[in-house]
Amino acid sequence: MLLQQILNGIMIGSVYALTAMGATLIYGILRILDIANAGAYVAGAYFGWFIYLKTGNLVLAFLFSMMITGLIGVLIHRFIYAPILSKPRILPIVPLVASVGLFTLTGDLARLIAGPGTKAYNVDFGVDVINIGKLTVVPAWILIIVLTALLFTVLWLVLNKTKLGLAWRATAEDADIAKAVGINTNSAMALSYILGYGFAAAAGIMVGILYNSITPALGEVPSYKMLSIIVLGGLGSPVGTVIAGLFIGMVETMLSAYNLTFIPKDSVAFIVLILVLLIKPSGLISKTNNI
Amino acid sequence: MREIVKVEGLKMYFGGLKAIDNLDMSIYEHETLGIIGPNGAGKTTLFNTICGVYKPTGGKVIFNGQEVQGSPPYEIARKGIARTFQISKPLHDLTILDNVIAASGIHEYTGIRSFFKKSHTKEVLEKVHAILELVGLSHIADKKAREVSLGYLRRLEIARVLATDPQLIMLDEPCAGLSNYAINEITELILKLKSQGKTIVLIEHNLPITMKVCDRILVLNYGQKIAEGTPEEVQHNKKVIEAYLGEEDED
Amino acid sequence: MGNYITTVAVNIAVFSLLALSLNIIIGYAGQSMMGHAAFFGIGAYTAAILTNKGISFWLALLASLIVSGALGAILGIISLRLRDDFLAITTIGINFVMVALFQNMKFFGGSLGMAVKPLTMFGKKATPMHFLIMLLILIFLVCMLIRKMNSSWFGLALASLRGDEGAAQSFGVNTNQYKILAFIIGTSIAGLTGGVYAHRMTFIFSSSFAFIVSISIISMVVVGGVGTIRGPLVGAILLGAAPELLRFADDYRMILYGGVIVLMMRFQPQGLLGENSFLMNKFNQYINPLLKRKGGEFNA
Ligand SMILES: Nc1ncnc2c1ncn2[C@@H]1O[C@H](COP(=O)(O)OP(=O)(O)OP(=O)(O)O)[C@@H](O)[C@H]1O
Ligand SMILES: [Mg+2]
Repeated sequence: MLLQQILNGIMIGSVYALTAMGATLIYGILRILDIANAGAYVAGAYFGWFIYLKTGNLVLAFLFSMMITGLIGVLIHRFIYAPILSKPRILPIVPLVASVGLFTLTGDLARLIAGPGTKAYNVDFGVDVINIGKLTVVPAWILIIVLTALLFTVLWLVLNKTKLGLAWRATAEDADIAKAVGINTNSAMALSYILGYGFAAAAGIMVGILYNSITPALGEVPSYKMLSIIVLGGLGSPVGTVIAGLFIGMVETMLSAYNLTFIPKDSVAFIVLILVLLIKPSGLISKTNNI
Repeated sequence: MREIVKVEGLKMYFGGLKAIDNLDMSIYEHETLGIIGPNGAGKTTLFNTICGVYKPTGGKVIFNGQEVQGSPPYEIARKGIARTFQISKPLHDLTILDNVIAASGIHEYTGIRSFFKKSHTKEVLEKVHAILELVGLSHIADKKAREVSLGYLRRLEIARVLATDPQLIMLDEPCAGLSNYAINEITELILKLKSQGKTIVLIEHNLPITMKVCDRILVLNYGQKIAEGTPEEVQHNKKVIEAYLGEEDED
Repeated sequence: MGNYITTVAVNIAVFSLLALSLNIIIGYAGQSMMGHAAFFGIGAYTAAILTNKGISFWLALLASLIVSGALGAILGIISLRLRDDFLAITTIGINFVMVALFQNMKFFGGSLGMAVKPLTMFGKKATPMHFLIMLLILIFLVCMLIRKMNSSWFGLALASLRGDEGAAQSFGVNTNQYKILAFIIGTSIAGLTGGVYAHRMTFIFSSSFAFIVSISIISMVVVGGVGTIRGPLVGAILLGAAPELLRFADDYRMILYGGVIVLMMRFQPQGLLGENSFLMNKFNQYINPLLKRKGGEFNA
C-alpha cells in the first residue's frame, strides 16, 4: 500500500537526514567531509543503550548520549581537526583520511568495550503496533518522526534565532570575513560539533530501537550513505540535507517495496548521487549556506 | 606601431553584473599600457577574459590578427600572451627554480609524448637561471615557494611569465601589498623589461608608478572605458577624477 | 623462503603496486581518488573471466590493464566536472557501486565469488614464488616508470596541476588532459595488479575490492609519504606486515590501524618518509652527508 510505503520512507529518510545533519553542519563551517560522524552515530547508540539499560529511562538515554557524544565531538575538533586544518594542506584528502581513521577507531572501540555481538535494544512502548485504518504503525516510527521533527525545529531555532546561530551562518558564509568582523568562529565550530555529533547520536539510538539491535558495525552503511546525502543536499545546506535524506529514504523504500532492486538498496544513494553529479556537478541544491 | 591585440566590443557578464561592458581597446607592440580604475572596475576580469580564463559573453579578442576569444587559457598562453595573477599562484611544494622551469616548458606539455622528454636539460637550466638572475631570485632558487615572502612570489610570477618567451606580458598589480623598497625594485624590473622592447600591460593602483612607467593609460570604471591617453591626458581628465574621487556620484 | 613468508610477501607486493599507482593520482597529480580498489577489482574480474574462457594469461593481463585504464579514463573525464570534495565522494561511490555489481551479478560470480583457472607456468601450476617474482618485476618497472615521469615534462605538468590549476594553464598545461592521463596510468596499473592477484588467489570475492581496501591503500600512501617512490613502498611494507606481526594482538589490530592513521594525519601528514618529514629531515641532516662524502649519491 502506497501510504504505508510513504510513511516508511519518511521514517527512514528522517533517520538519514538526522545522521547526515552533523556532517552538513561540520562541512558548512570547516569544509571537510567528516566520516567520523558515523562513528558518533555508533558511539551514541552504545551510550544510549548503556544508559537505558541502567536507568530504564529513554529520555535520559537520549539526552545524556547526545551530550556526551557532542562533547567528544568538540574534543575531536579541538585536538585533531583544528590542528590538521591549521597546517598547509599536503593533500586535499588529509582531513578525510583522518576522519576515516577516527571512524575505524570508534567502531572497533565499541567492539572491544561492549563486545563484538549484537546488543538487543528492547524499548517497551506498551503496544506493539497501532492500526489506523489499513495503516500499520510501529510506535518506534512515531518516536522517530516526532523526535526528528523536534530536533530539526531546535536546529532551525538555534541557527536562525540565536547569536550562536548567527555566528554559524556568518562563518559558513565566509570564515575570514566572519573572523574579521569579530564573530567568534570557534564557537560556531563547537556548535557544529555539539549539534552534529549529538544528532548523529540520536540517530544511532533511533536505529537501535527501530531494529531492536546494535552492533559495532552499525556505522558502516551510514558512513558512506551520509556522504551522498550531504552532497545531494548541496554540501553545507541544512535544509538541503533534510530534503536529500527524505528523498533517498523514499527512493530506497519504494524500490524495495515494489521489487525494483536489481542492485542492493544501500547503493541506491550513490547511484542517485553519481547520476545527479553527472547532470549537475554542483549538487542538487547548489546554493550552500542557505538555511 | 603594430597592433598586436585588438579588443572589440568585449562583454563579460556575471549574471546581471556587467564586469566588462562593451570594451574596445588596442595594445601596440613595444608599448607599456597601464590599466587603472577603482576597485571592482573590471581590470582583472579584463585580463581573465583576454587570457581565456573566462569565455566572454560577447565581443572579440584578436591577437596577431587571429580571433582567440573563447580559447582555453593554455592555448592562449602558448600563442604568446602571458600573465601574472593578482593573488599570486605559486606551486607551493616546488622550488622557485622548478616553478620557473615548469613555466619554461610551455611548448612541451604535449600529453603522453611529454613523458619521453627530459625537463631539466642544460639549456633549460641556463635559460631559467638567467631569468632568475634578471628578476633577482637566484639566491633563493632552491627554496620551496611556500617558504618565501610575498615580494619574492611577485617576482616569481614575473619570472614565470618571462620563461614562456611571451609576445605580450600582462601584469596584474605586481606591487600590491609590498613595501616601498620592494615596490621600487619591481618598478625597476618593469622598466628593464620595457627597455628590452617588451610589450607590457600593467594593472596598478599606485598612480605614481603607473604614470612613471606607462606610455599610455586606459581607465576603466564599471566595466567601461572612461578615458584613454597619455599619462598627462588621463591625469587631467574630468571623468577620471570623478571616478576616483566620488564613486558615489557615479550612479 | 617459507610458504607463509612468501604469501605475506606476495600480499605486500600487490599492495605496493596499488599504493605506487594510487600515488600517481593522489600524490603526483593531486586528485582526490578514494576508490582505487574498484579498479583493482575491475582488473581482477576482467582477467579471471577471460582466462576462464580459455584466453591466455598474458593477454588477459593486457585486457585487465586496458579495461581498467579505459574506465579510469571515464572517471578522469567525470572528474573534470567535479570539484575536489565531490570527486572524493564520487570515487567512494564508484567503489561501493562496483562492489555491489561484483556481488550481485551472476556474470561476476555473485555473492559466492568467482573461481579463477589456475595459472600454469613452465608446465606446472604456478607457485606463490612465481607470482612474487612476477610482482617484483612489475614493481621494478613501475618504479622506473615513475622515475622517468618525474624527470620529464610530464612530471612537471602533474606537479603544476597539483600545485595550482590556474597557474598551470597560464603556462600552457592542458590540465584536463593531464588529469585524465594520470587517472589512466594509475588505474591501469591497479587493473594489471588485479589480474595478477586474481590468478594468485585462484578465487576472488567482491569483498577483496571493498572501500575499506581503498582506505588501506590510501593509508599506505599517506603513512609512507605522498609524492615519493619510497613512501608507498615503505607504507605497503609497514602496513602490509603489521597485521602479521600483530597477530598476537589481533584484537587491537583495527584500533592500531585507525590510531596510526589519525596520528599520522595529525602530526606527519606528509608521511613518515615524505618530503620534510621528521625522518627525512634527520636523514638529510646526518646520513646523507656521510653518503655524499663516500661519493655515493642518495636518490630514492
Ligand atoms: N568569477 C566571478 N563571478 C562573479 N563576479 C565576478 C567574478 N569575477 C569578478 N567578478 C565581479 O566583477 C567585478 C569586477 O571585478 P574585478 O576583479 O575584475 O575588479 P578589479 O578591477 O580587478 O578590482 P581590484 O582593483 O579590486 O582588483 C567585481 O564586481 C567582481 O565582484
Ligand atoms: Mg583585480
